[in-house]
Amino acid sequence: MKKRHEQKLVILSITALAILNVPFLLIFNHDGHVFGIPAFYFSIFSIWLVIILVSYIVLKRHYE
Amino acid sequence: MSNYVLFIIIVTYLAALFFIAYVAEKNSKSKWVNNSVVYTLSLAVYCTAWTYYGSIGIAANSGVNFLPIYLGPVIAAPLWIVLLRKIVRISKQHKISSIADFISLRYGNHRFLGALVTIVCLLAIVPYISLQLKAVSETFQILSDDTSYVATSVYDDSTFYIALLLAVFATFFGTQTTDASEKHKGIVMSVAFESILKLVFFLFVGIYVTYVLFDGTEDIYTKMSVAENFESLTAINGFEGGFNWLYTIMLSFMAIFLLPRQFQVSVVENVREKHIKNAIWMFPLYLLLFNIFVIFIAWAGNLTIGNTAQAEYYALLLPLQNGNTFLSVLVFLGGFSAVISMVVVATLALSTMVSNNLVIPYGFLDYFIKSHPERNAKYIKNIRRISIFLIIISAYSFYVNFSFELSLYSIGLMAFVIISQLAPSFFIGLFWNRGSSNATIIGIVAGIAVVFYTLILPFSLHALNGSDDLVQYGLAGIEALKPHALFGIDFLSPPAHAFFWSLLVNLFCYMTFSVIKKGNYRERNYAEMYVDSKNYTDLQDGALVWKGEAYVADIKKVLVKFLGDTRTERALNLFFRKYDLPLDTQMADARLINFSEKLLTGSIGSASAKILIASVVKEDEVSLVEVLKILEESKETIARNKLLREKSNELTKLTNQLKDANEELIEKDKQKDEFLDTVAHELKTPITGIRATTELLMDDDDDMPLEIKTQFLKNMLQDSDRLSRLIHNILDFEKLSKGRTQLNIKKYNIKNTIQKTIDSLRQIADKKQVEIINSNQSDLKAEYDEDRIVQVLTNLISNAIKFCDVKKGKIIVDYKFDLGYLEVSIKDNGKGVPKQDLPFIFDKFYQSKNQNIQKPEGSGLGLAICKQIVENHNGNIWVKNNEKSGATFGFKLPFK
Repeated sequence: MKKRHEQKLVILSITALAILNVPFLLIFNHDGHVFGIPAFYFSIFSIWLVIILVSYIVLKRHYE
Repeated sequence: MSNYVLFIIIVTYLAALFFIAYVAEKNSKSKWVNNSVVYTLSLAVYCTAWTYYGSIGIAANSGVNFLPIYLGPVIAAPLWIVLLRKIVRISKQHKISSIADFISLRYGNHRFLGALVTIVCLLAIVPYISLQLKAVSETFQILSDDTSYVATSVYDDSTFYIALLLAVFATFFGTQTTDASEKHKGIVMSVAFESILKLVFFLFVGIYVTYVLFDGTEDIYTKMSVAENFESLTAINGFEGGFNWLYTIMLSFMAIFLLPRQFQVSVVENVREKHIKNAIWMFPLYLLLFNIFVIFIAWAGNLTIGNTAQAEYYALLLPLQNGNTFLSVLVFLGGFSAVISMVVVATLALSTMVSNNLVIPYGFLDYFIKSHPERNAKYIKNIRRISIFLIIISAYSFYVNFSFELSLYSIGLMAFVIISQLAPSFFIGLFWNRGSSNATIIGIVAGIAVVFYTLILPFSLHALNGSDDLVQYGLAGIEALKPHALFGIDFLSPPAHAFFWSLLVNLFCYMTFSVIKKGNYRERNYAEMYVDSKNYTDLQDGALVWKGEAYVADIKKVLVKFLGDTRTERALNLFFRKYDLPLDTQMADARLINFSEKLLTGSIGSASAKILIASVVKEDEVSLVEVLKILEESKETIARNKLLREKSNELTKLTNQLKDANEELIEKDKQKDEFLDTVAHELKTPITGIRATTELLMDDDDDMPLEIKTQFLKNMLQDSDRLSRLIHNILDFEKLSKGRTQLNIKKYNIKNTIQKTIDSLRQIADKKQVEIINSNQSDLKAEYDEDRIVQVLTNLISNAIKFCDVKKGKIIVDYKFDLGYLEVSIKDNGKGVPKQDLPFIFDKFYQSKNQNIQKPEGSGLGLAICKQIVENHNGNIWVKNNEKSGATFGFKLPFK
């Protein structure tokens, strides 16, 4: 895997750390729910899923 | 359910695990055992009873704080492509078998550092194991019908026997070889299997609770949203909560690398580096699946059971209270799986550390040197076996004495805080070559001291005599020294608070002391190897700088003690062959020292290996500057070698090109000579003829009959015609082949050009009664030099006429458009071209063999000129024999 593509994953990790912490975290502090999942949990789970998808796509395309 | 039935279920389950591990061990090469899915599932040893039961307790009582434990690994996973790969590479190269080995090797094979790391790990993990035992014991009690039953002594406590069974399991599959860096495929496979079970059973109970006991997620949400503390369960508590959240994420981020069991499965048991690829996305997915139903189980428990003290076991209690005993047994088995895998892997990792970094280097080395290889192997294995039992037994006694009142969550976090003290030396050491062993030791000791004061001491005091005075009033009544609120920072949870202070102190000491006093040369040598691991992998055994006197025989003696005769012999032979040394080499060099240390590392740990080898060699002190210089040089040598190889490849290529060019020139030269010879010969023939006839006519005494005279004069005329034609052709050919002729290219219709040519040849054809058929009437316009193409056509058609039989001859001229080319073909039914002539027919002065017998009719340049003309048009010309009789000549011209 080329350094450039490895660095995509490093950036993903840094972004995840930023989004999953204060102050972004406070944005998710909503009332309400989606399909019975409270807004806060729903936001976290969605970001979680996005992280999985992005790393899957990057690795699928560039891992050699 | 009766105790006995439950115990039988447990034993059956353990037997099944034994079987799986046994089969995996037998088929250790199979692709069912070595794949990225098994690797990822083995990483899921991260999810212990704490995940299985503890998360629900947190979600039910205090809200979102169970999430950061999993978010840390999720954030860490993408970094594995850089971090974990580097760690795995280094560990494989140095045959590292535990995190203690990894850290102590980075800081120059430091014996005390290895021991210190081991102690830190024991401090963190033994209570953690006891926590797992506690979970087993409590769930066992919940599930067995005799709830009033309390174990009065160790011997009738089922947890004790379960702990012993686990120890047997770990011993059986964990200590089969003395080399701890060897893979334990059986254990890994059973862990992977358990990881599936715990996830599936947890999802079962989640679905059961949400969709069977309740009417889906929205139902639980609406019923729960009327609770008074609902707000605090679904949201984060402002910026203060944000800090706790951040510190917990950092803790779990470090834990996924540093926990001995994680290091064991992710690094030591890593079969192939590429397995990391899939783990990077599969592991976060596993964790996500594990967390989705947590809040619903927790809230369903809150709604129907509502007993906060038992919140951790809602997953078990919910199906049990609704009469679904089967599901609750499954849940119990899932939790039990989580416990088994954690306990087995953790004790295995700890026992390796205890034997290789604590017991052997501090006591058994002298003994080993005197003993026999077989006995040594037995001793090493026994040390590990005893360690496994001791660790589990001490975990059990910790559980009996301490952990009754503490939740799974708090002890788990305490373990994380303690283990995080290894973080500065571990992570920074990978990228910063100046970090030194003394600074690491100071940092870890200082960090542990802070953790002791802020977390362990209050916990122990509370557990021992129930007093909270220290927490309430601080040490000697000083406010600023309150263990849970040092210097007035009182908004953090105790673990986050302890983490913050201890890591700050640890990091500060590590960095500061590293720069104040530089480490010795050996430390720096290993530091360079770790930091710049990519370059040093190329150097291999040459990466260690070592100077001194050593005999191969002495080193061999040490190796034999641990590897036995045959393995030592084989390893040394391999080594000598690899470096092209004679098999009877007497003096050992740095590479052999490094190689032998690595050989021993797996069995007795890196520190002991270094001590043992050092005891039989005489090492000279090398200055730090020298070490760096030598390393730099060897790195440069490698780089230079690479450069040289590239240069030499380039040169070879150039030489080949030159050779080809030279050959071409020689060939051209030869052709030129031949050409001149042939030209001279061809010119000479008619001149000789003219000269001979002239002589005859001059010598003639007027008695020659007039008609003979006329015949002679006719011959002379013919020969001089031939001569001038020849000279014209030669000049023409030379011009064409040198590219000196300008083609007069315009747009013409090929139909007209062909017609024109045929018309001019009609006379000769009629004379020989040869039929020329030109039936194509289509107009095809192409760009060419008409005069030249007429020349080509004339030549080809007159050739055809020449070789056709009188009266029977038939020549077909045709043309067509083909893939951007104009293709013209002249087909005759003459005698065809002899097979051996086909490749040469377009060469200059090439005359067919049987034609040479007679007087040559052509100049021998006609076809060569045709070829030149066509090629000057960027076309090509060819000939082939027809199937029946005759030959077809053809040429192609590009349209533009």
